[in-house]
Amino acid sequence: MSAAAVYLECARIGFINNLAFRLRYYTGIFTYLINVTVYYFIWRAVYGSGPPIAGYNLAQMVTYVSIGWIMRSFYWNTIDQEMAYEVIEGKIATSLLRPLSVQWMWLSRAAGESAFRLGLLTAPTALAVALIFPVLPPASAVHFALFLPAVAGSFLLMGALNFMIGTCAIHLESILALIRAKFWLIELLSGVLLPMTFFPGWAQSILRWLPFQHIAYSPLQIYLGKLEPRAALVVLLMQWLWVGALVALGALWWRFSIKKITIHGG
Amino acid sequence: MAEAPLIAVRDLSKDFRTFRRREGVWGGIQNLFVREYLTVKAVDHITFDIDRGEMVGYIGPNGAGKSTTIKMLTGILVPSSGTIQVGGYVPWRDRTTYVKTIGVVFGQRTQLWWDIAVMESFRLLQKIYGVSQRDFDERMALFGDILGINKYLHTPVRKLSLGERMRCDLAAALLHNPPLLFLDEPTIGLDVVAKDHIRQFLRSVNQRFRTTVLLTTHDLDDIEALCKRIVIIDRGRLLYDGPLDLLKQKLLRTRQVKFVLRDAAAGARLRAIGTGGLAIDEVDELTFRIRFDRTKVSTGDLMREILGAVEVRDLVIEDEPIEEVVKRIYAGEALREVTL
Repeated sequence: MSAAAVYLECARIGFINNLAFRLRYYTGIFTYLINVTVYYFIWRAVYGSGPPIAGYNLAQMVTYVSIGWIMRSFYWNTIDQEMAYEVIEGKIATSLLRPLSVQWMWLSRAAGESAFRLGLLTAPTALAVALIFPVLPPASAVHFALFLPAVAGSFLLMGALNFMIGTCAIHLESILALIRAKFWLIELLSGVLLPMTFFPGWAQSILRWLPFQHIAYSPLQIYLGKLEPRAALVVLLMQWLWVGALVALGALWWRFSIKKITIHGG
Repeated sequence: MAEAPLIAVRDLSKDFRTFRRREGVWGGIQNLFVREYLTVKAVDHITFDIDRGEMVGYIGPNGAGKSTTIKMLTGILVPSSGTIQVGGYVPWRDRTTYVKTIGVVFGQRTQLWWDIAVMESFRLLQKIYGVSQRDFDERMALFGDILGINKYLHTPVRKLSLGERMRCDLAAALLHNPPLLFLDEPTIGLDVVAKDHIRQFLRSVNQRFRTTVLLTTHDLDDIEALCKRIVIIDRGRLLYDGPLDLLKQKLLRTRQVKFVLRDAAAGARLRAIGTGGLAIDEVDELTFRIRFDRTKVSTGDLMREILGAVEVRDLVIEDEPIEEVVKRIYAGEALREVTL
């Protein structure tokens, strides 16, 4: 039995686990639709019939927002909250009794959940959004082919970040504040609210060297064809380098933290 | 040549640092800036060996450090100092390979996936531990036989009763046939039938596969039913490590004889026997209980004397229950007498 097959099995469990919570996803479709609608009207009001802002015209902006939220419905996960819960409840002991890397176990579980979201949340949301709003198709087949691995990268970046935040639960009594801070930080810096070009120049030059904009902004740039295929490939490569770096950093942070673990009860 | 011990624990300690809270508003403000820490020694320089095939009871009052020791032995917690070697592994360092060689059951919490059917959990464990289909089927049949878990294999864990859950947890821990099994309070909260069921199962696993078992418990019947050897700890320190029989021999001094007399008039004569070292209680006018130190008074002599003096309808001779001994050890009284 190869290690990959075992993690695949973890993903399968993540998938079946979610079967029990189907209702949550039906309401999710509604929430995401409302979000897109709100941004659609805001941007329509902002643009009026005026010129493009920060390099985006209204059609592109609407597409940016729509595809951004559709992507988000897929890559989003709550590893950090679930880990914090397991640490507080002492269930982390059970995870440590398995002959598996705890980090990959969480990532696999989240992957299973994302596969589930893809069918029950992302696909219906995409369909509804495409029917209601004027969403542009991908810039070209090549761009779309590069966009797909970039979305997978978004999932892994989100997962790796959440794993690191979740690991903090070993050191802190409550990571609720941390999770909330991360939420708004990612909303803002990933580019799901606003394209990076709306930020002041100095902020753009700093954010370029951080992983956050690769979660939403970079894949969306690729989708919209704002980058030539060659430049898009470079951005994709950068994104995956960040994936590797954050996963490695998470592994180190976990290895350091695990020595401090205390398990309550018994 | 003697086989090397399976588990070798040397000078093992675990300290927990806890943050001491000051009370009141001013204390709360102080807490924000300056923190005071307290170090609690959960396990304090413990040394012991366990051989292959042994069943050892690990006992102590609440908060004695039993669970902490188990968690270090299973690789979950990292020791503050000292060493653990189990079958050539250092548990916390070699965790992912080491845990394939052990089975663990925590009575307080399940290790099965809460929302999915028991069988799904077993299938996942089969994959995780790389158990072949043939072994899997064989073991499932065995567990079905001895533990009787077949009836609820397709029920989610959250819908099982505690006894059913514990049986499934035991089966899950043994699915990969580990040579070493750790049980942390495996019978906690179970009814008499379920307890007996689980004890029988553990005995048969130990005999069939020569599985080494280390179990913590508050139920000394578990120990009497399963273990020849016990290790007692309290406040992190080792108090006793040796055969259960020896502990009984050394500490079970009090013996009691219960008499039922034929007529109440004989009661007075019986009371007259009460010489040195005898305590006589009158339960009712016909029933008497005599307690004595069996190292000082010969049981045979005493019986002869009593049977000669009064007419007895029925009598029972009992040793003090092991609970009493352990209670005395926890209270610190009996300690001096067991230093071996």
